[in-house]
Amino acid sequence: MKDFYLVYKNLTRKKLRLFLTCFAIFIAFLIFGAVTALQGALNSGVEMSADNRLVVFNKINFTQPLPYAYVNKVRSIDGVEHVTHANWFGGYYQEPANQIVTMAVAPESYFEVYEELVVDPQQKASWLANQAGVLVGERLAKVNNWQIGDRIPISSSIFSHKDGGQTWDLVVEGIFTANDPQIDTGYMVFHYKYFMETQSWGGDYVGWIVLTTEDPALNEQVAKAIDENFANSQAETDTDTEKAFNKAFIEQIGNIGLIIFGVVFMAFFTILVLVGNTMVLAVRERTNEIAVLKTLGFSSPRIFRMILTESCLLSFLGGLLGIGAAFLVVRFLSEMMARFLPNLVLGSDILLQALGYMLLLGLITGIVPAVNALRLNIISAFARG
Amino acid sequence: MSVISQSLAVIKMNVLSLPRRVWMSLAMVLAAAVVVAVLLAFLAMAKGFEATMQSAGSEDVAFFIRTGSAAELNSTVTKDQVNLISEAPGIASNDDGPLVSPELYVIVDGIKKSTGTEANIPLRGIEPQGLAMRENFSLTQGRLFTPGTDELIVGEGILRQFDGFELGQEVRFGKNRWTVVGVFSTGGNVFESELWADARVIQTLYNRGSSYQSVRAKLEPGASLQSIEQYLKQDPRLNQEVQSEAAYFATQGESLGYMALFGRVISSIMALGALAGALNTMYTSVADRAKEIATLRAIGFSNLSAFIGTLVEAMVLALIGGIIGALAAFALFDGMNASTLGGSFTQVVFSFELSTDLILQGIYLALIIGFISGFFPAWRATSVPVAVAFQSRG
Repeated sequence: MKDFYLVYKNLTRKKLRLFLTCFAIFIAFLIFGAVTALQGALNSGVEMSADNRLVVFNKINFTQPLPYAYVNKVRSIDGVEHVTHANWFGGYYQEPANQIVTMAVAPESYFEVYEELVVDPQQKASWLANQAGVLVGERLAKVNNWQIGDRIPISSSIFSHKDGGQTWDLVVEGIFTANDPQIDTGYMVFHYKYFMETQSWGGDYVGWIVLTTEDPALNEQVAKAIDENFANSQAETDTDTEKAFNKAFIEQIGNIGLIIFGVVFMAFFTILVLVGNTMVLAVRERTNEIAVLKTLGFSSPRIFRMILTESCLLSFLGGLLGIGAAFLVVRFLSEMMARFLPNLVLGSDILLQALGYMLLLGLITGIVPAVNALRLNIISAFARG
Repeated sequence: MSVISQSLAVIKMNVLSLPRRVWMSLAMVLAAAVVVAVLLAFLAMAKGFEATMQSAGSEDVAFFIRTGSAAELNSTVTKDQVNLISEAPGIASNDDGPLVSPELYVIVDGIKKSTGTEANIPLRGIEPQGLAMRENFSLTQGRLFTPGTDELIVGEGILRQFDGFELGQEVRFGKNRWTVVGVFSTGGNVFESELWADARVIQTLYNRGSSYQSVRAKLEPGASLQSIEQYLKQDPRLNQEVQSEAAYFATQGESLGYMALFGRVISSIMALGALAGALNTMYTSVADRAKEIATLRAIGFSNLSAFIGTLVEAMVLALIGGIIGALAAFALFDGMNASTLGGSFTQVVFSFELSTDLILQGIYLALIIGFISGFFPAWRATSVPVAVAFQSRG
C-alpha cells in the first residue's frame, strides 16, 4: 500500500503534465473506439450472414430481374432446403430523400429462409391474411414511430400504381425483431403478389432468389448446379453465398473506406508514440530520486514494479475515460443516425481490443525507464545528478 | 539592445540548439505532421470527388427524369414523352434538329482491379445528339460505336479502375457480348466512369421497348427552366420534372460531402490530442532550460525577447512538421485513384486532389498548434522570478 502511495504521488506531482498526458490518451482512445465501431457497423452485414444461405442474381447485375419460373426450378435442385424471393421496391416515405428499404417478398417462405427474424405468430397470421399488410422491422418502426395498425403511404421511386400515382397505402400488421442486436431490422416487407397485381407494368419476374442449403458444405455444389442449370438461357444467373455478396457490396464503397480507416489508425498510433515519449522522459528526470530510494533500501524489483504500475495506471486512466466517452458518443450517434447507419454498437470485442492497447501502452512506456532503474548504479547516478 | 535584436538573438540561439533536444523536437514535429496529414487526406478526397461530380453537370443543360425517381436509374420516359419534351420552349437546336438527348441507364458488372470483385458500372445508351451536346467529349483511342451494332466505348476512369475493358476486348454482360471500339474522355468528370453504347441496341437487349430513362436538352442562351416547368405542368401526358444538369449532379455528390465533414471533425479532435502532446513536450523542453532562460534574463535580455524566442522555436518546429505532413499527404494521396458508390448506385471513379489552398489550410493548422503549444510554456518560463528559476533543479 505504501508503494501505491508513492506511485500516486509521482503521478500527481505535475498536475498539468498529468492532465495533458491523460487528455492525449483520452483523445486517442475516443477516436479508436468511435471509428472501430463505425467500421464494425459497415462490416456487420458480412459477419451476420448465415453460413448456408445463398443468393441468386441475374448475371448482368443485381439490379436486373429474373423470371418467376426460376424460383420453382431452383427449389427442385438437390441440396436446397428453403427458397424464397424478393423484389426491390425503391420505397420512400413522404419525401424522396426519406428512403425506406422496402421489399416485396414471398410471405410464407421469407421467414423460413431468414430464420433469425422473429415475428409474433399472431401478427404474422394477420399479415398473411391482409394483402395490403406490411411487416416492419423494429428499427425502422422506431425511427418513424409506426405502431401496429397504422396506415402508412409508401411511395416508390421506380414503380407506378395502376390506379395512378406512385403511392401504396400499406397497413402495419406486425413488427419483426431479430435474435441478435447486430442484425439489421431497418427494412420492411410486403406481399409480392399484391405488388405485382397493383403496379402498372405487370409482369412475372422476381428481383432475386434467396435459398438455404441443407448443409453449408453443399454451398458450392448447389451454387454451381443452379448457375449451370440457367447457363445459355434468357437470363443467366450468378449464385453466391450471402456472405460473399455482402462483402462484395461493401467493397463497392471501395478503397475509400480502407484509406479512411488506415489514416485514422495511423494517427491513433502516432498519438500513442507521442504520449509514450513524454512518459519516458518524465521518468528519466527522476534518476536522482530513484537512486535515493535505492539508497534507502528499496529493492530493485520493487522499484521496477512501481514504475510499471505508474505507467500502466496513467495509460488506463486516460484510456478508460476515452473508451467510455467513445461509448457515449456511439450511443448518441446510433440514436441520431439510426436512419442511415444500422448496428452502430461499441461491443465487448472493441473494448477488449482497447484494453489490450492500453496495457501495451502502459508496458512499453514503463519498461524502458523501469529497466534503467533496475540497472541503475547508485554511485554513478549521484555523480551524474 | 532593442527588443527586436534581442529576440532575434534568442531565436537564433534556440533554433540552432534544437539538435541538442532532438527527441523532444521530433515529438513536436511529428505531432504537427500527423494532424496536417490526416486533415489533408480527407480534404483531398472530398475535393477530388466534388470536382468529378460538379464538372459533369452543365448549367445550360435541362435534365428530365420522372417525378419522384431521384436518379436516372429509377426513371422512365416513353418515346412519346421524349417527343413532347423536344417541343418545350427554349431548347436549342443544330443542323440535325433540336439538341435533345434521350438516354438509357443500365447497370452492369465489372471486375474492379483493386479488389478483384464485381462492382456496378453504368452502361449508358446514347444517340448522336447526346454526344454533340457534351462539349468536352473526345475520343482518346479508337473510334465511335457504329449505331445498331453491339459496339461500345469506355470512359478513361473505367479503364483505370476495372479489368478487361481495353480497346478491342470483347466483354460479356450475361449472355450479351460487346466489343470495345473506343476510349473516351470528358475532361475528368463522372461520365468517364461509364460505358456508352447505342441507345436502340440497349432497348432491344434489355427489353425496354421504345422507352428511355432520362432526357437531356441543351438550352438556348437566356432560356429559363421555369418556362419549361410550366410547359411540363400544363401537359397531363408528361410526368417528368426538370432541373439543371448541374443541380442534379450536385445532389448526387452529397454523399461524400458528409465524408469531408467527418474528416474535419475527426482531424479537429485529433488536433486536440496532438496539441496536448505538443504542449507537454514544450513544457518539458522549457522546464529543462529554465536555468538558461533565467541566465538570459539575468544578463539583461528582456522578458519579452525570451518569450518570443521560445514561442518562435515552437512555431518553427510545428511549421517543419506541417510541411512534412503536407509533403507526405501530397506524395501519398495526390492523384490517387479511387472509386466508390455514387448516388445512383454505381461506381464513380475519381482522383484525390491536393490543391494549394488545401495545403495552405494544413500549414495554418500547424502554425496554430505551434503557437498554442509555445505560448503557454514560454509565458510560464518568463514569468517565474529569476531567483526562483535558479533555485529549481535543472
